[in-house]
Amino acid sequence: MNLAEFFQVAPVAPELLAPSLWLIIALPLLGAFICGVFGRMLGRANVHLIACSAVAGAFVLSVLAFWATSHTSSGEGARRLLAFYRNPFGIESDFVRYALAYDYGTWFSAGDFRVNFGLAVDHLSGILLLVITGVGFLIHLYSTSYMEHDDGYWRYFAYLNLFVAAMLTLVLADNLVLLFVGWEGVGMASYLLIGFWYTDPAKAWAGRKAFVTNRIGDFAFLIATFLLVLLVSAFTRQANAADYATAGSSVERYQSALQDRGPLTFKGLEKMAEGLVDTGADKVDLSTPIEAGPLAGYTFGGVMTVALLLFLLGAAGKSAQLPLYVWLPDAMAGPTPVSALIHAATMVTAGVYLFSRMAALLVLSPTAMATVAIIGALTSLLAALIAFAQDDIKKVLAYSTVSQLGIMFMGVGAGIFWAAVLHLVTHAFFKACLFLGAGSVMHGNGDETDIKKLGGLRHEMKWTWGTFLVATLAITGIFPLSGFFSKDAILHGVHHNHLEGLHWVSSAVYYLGLVIAASTAFYMTRLYLLTFEGPRSKEARVAHAHESAWQMTLPLVVLAVLSVVAAVYAFPLMKSSSGQPQAVFENFLSPVFGAMNRITNAAKTVELDTSVPHLGDYVFAWLVALTGGALAGFLYLKFFPARAGQPAPAFARAVRRAAQNKFYVDELYELIVIRPVKFLSFILFRVVDALLIDTVAVRGTAWVTARVGSALRYVQTGDAQAYAAVMALALLGGVAYALIQVLQ
Amino acid sequence: MVPITYYLLLAAALFCMGMFGVLVRRNALVVFMCVELMLNAANLTFLSFARMRGDSIGHVSAFFVIAVAAAEAAIGLAIVIAVFRSRGSVLVEDIRTMKH
Repeated sequence: MNLAEFFQVAPVAPELLAPSLWLIIALPLLGAFICGVFGRMLGRANVHLIACSAVAGAFVLSVLAFWATSHTSSGEGARRLLAFYRNPFGIESDFVRYALAYDYGTWFSAGDFRVNFGLAVDHLSGILLLVITGVGFLIHLYSTSYMEHDDGYWRYFAYLNLFVAAMLTLVLADNLVLLFVGWEGVGMASYLLIGFWYTDPAKAWAGRKAFVTNRIGDFAFLIATFLLVLLVSAFTRQANAADYATAGSSVERYQSALQDRGPLTFKGLEKMAEGLVDTGADKVDLSTPIEAGPLAGYTFGGVMTVALLLFLLGAAGKSAQLPLYVWLPDAMAGPTPVSALIHAATMVTAGVYLFSRMAALLVLSPTAMATVAIIGALTSLLAALIAFAQDDIKKVLAYSTVSQLGIMFMGVGAGIFWAAVLHLVTHAFFKACLFLGAGSVMHGNGDETDIKKLGGLRHEMKWTWGTFLVATLAITGIFPLSGFFSKDAILHGVHHNHLEGLHWVSSAVYYLGLVIAASTAFYMTRLYLLTFEGPRSKEARVAHAHESAWQMTLPLVVLAVLSVVAAVYAFPLMKSSSGQPQAVFENFLSPVFGAMNRITNAAKTVELDTSVPHLGDYVFAWLVALTGGALAGFLYLKFFPARAGQPAPAFARAVRRAAQNKFYVDELYELIVIRPVKFLSFILFRVVDALLIDTVAVRGTAWVTARVGSALRYVQTGDAQAYAAVMALALLGGVAYALIQVLQ
Repeated sequence: MVPITYYLLLAAALFCMGMFGVLVRRNALVVFMCVELMLNAANLTFLSFARMRGDSIGHVSAFFVIAVAAAEAAIGLAIVIAVFRSRGSVLVEDIRTMKH
């Protein structure tokens, strides 16, 4: 048995593993429960053990599940895997290959709407499972040392486990509703973690800002989900048998699968997308108007575009893109390992994951794709420019995350999904390494975060220095490291893919991408140089920095190694079905993006180019990165010391001040959004709540009742003659009424 | 033949006198007598209409009223005597236990 065969036989048979997929989520959840409820009684070491082993257990299960997705024993190829999971949306012989899935039955249903609790692992979610639990475990391990002296350590580890559980739910979900559960879960856990030191109002505010910004995006996500439900029902009502033939399914089969598994499973949405692209006569396609229902009159393509743009807003909230990126830099208020977890391994990548998962829908709308790419590019550029002038080591890294996510969105928008996911993975490695390295620097320097007051750490913190250097080179895009290949794969794809009718977008985004690459190199080099090189700053808080404990340096080393070796995934070592060389990762993800490829070929909305970058492309990209880095090196090592004591030119100071203040975007939001909303809330509070509800409705009814009661009290005297007088008066009234009636 | 109007006017006058007595007299016994007066005014009305209509419904009603009045007088007098024994007074305005 050679090595390839070894990896094609899962140690646990998929049939056995599939029903246990829920354990991957349940383990960290259980860890969160135990640490949160009993943590204070358990003591420090036990909490560390439980939290770490819960994530480690999830990691082991993830490895097994991931392994099982490539299970091809008994010579039958991928078919073997699917004996127990047939895709109900396809034709009889269409098995889902390279996927491990299990449906735990109805979660809830209302009318003909139905949502199943279904978990699925394919190559896309499998790789994310590994990243989340793997990098997550390293961050847990690191935290055991970093949070050693914190009183709320048990609360911290409970939140951390909760975060991992929510993210695993997000990734494992096989339908949009279950994904939304994880989507909300990470939002809540991030709120808890960012505001972890809640006694400091500024940090509590940062948590709240993240929460509110995320909620805006989540609202858009929900509306988009509802639109998709309506769209699926409109499609099943209007489509004829010919449409289903394109999707490789039959009408009865598709509808019984909908009955069975609900309209929002990703596989079902994929099949609908495939059914929509054929433009033959007498078929439903993207330009067909919807006949009945709430969406009547709109075309399928139009509704799809709107839904995808709303999903983009949702993803912008979670993944910190324009216009909702403002929460992420403030999220630095939380403990540093949390920043690493949120930024690198989990939450912020949710938007990229969502669009990769829905790639089949996204390629139906060039408008949405162009918007995604442009938003990504603009966010990336803006964040990179702000990162130029930040002096807080974590803030620079935070803006760098926003920028790198923007690059991933550029890839998603240009249809080069595999490269976006690859960059997600490599970014998880080197950004986690950078954040944890920054934490180590702070740990050894009395919590100093101002890079102007660090310097010269190279000789004092050797492990931190080495790993930080590797990660910096990786994110900068220096040749043999993974960041170079993943970023270049995206830029190459952006350059060569074309959106139908929007050809200018890919060129514009590509040139912006080059500027971003050079900027990234510049500010990362600046960060590295000011922190580690040169003499030690006179304003340093401690005279000599000390290296951190092994729990902190070991994750750094592992992540640094990973950020080097992950480059292998971008090498064109595999062959595509047409015999051309193909990147390993592209080949690896091709089962996931198969439907997307079929749709782009049929619909011609995107021109996908599968060529591999040439040597010239690599050299060019490398030169761009080197230029940026060299410029920073020149400015900060040679130029500035020579000008020591001389003030910088007025222009440079003005630009720097604007960049330092983040181009006043927060202030702009304050002016055009927050102030009016606050004013409106004030009016509602004073007039509607305090005046109408409290005074008139609540206290008013009580007041009227009391007054009426005290007036009526005088009637209840117990005096029989007074009662008789009332009766007599009533009688008089009756007589008067009768007389009037008679006289008329 | 005396027109029915006179009977009704007489009944109304009797009723008003009875009601006046009920409202203003303080002695419970007098109040009772006034109530009887009102009941008899009603009886007179019944009988007048019975006569006018030429059937016996009014007579039957009058008999019922007399029966009820007799029962009421019996119970009412008993109550008045019981109240007098416990409080030494039959004045209506003194009997206001609900107020306390």
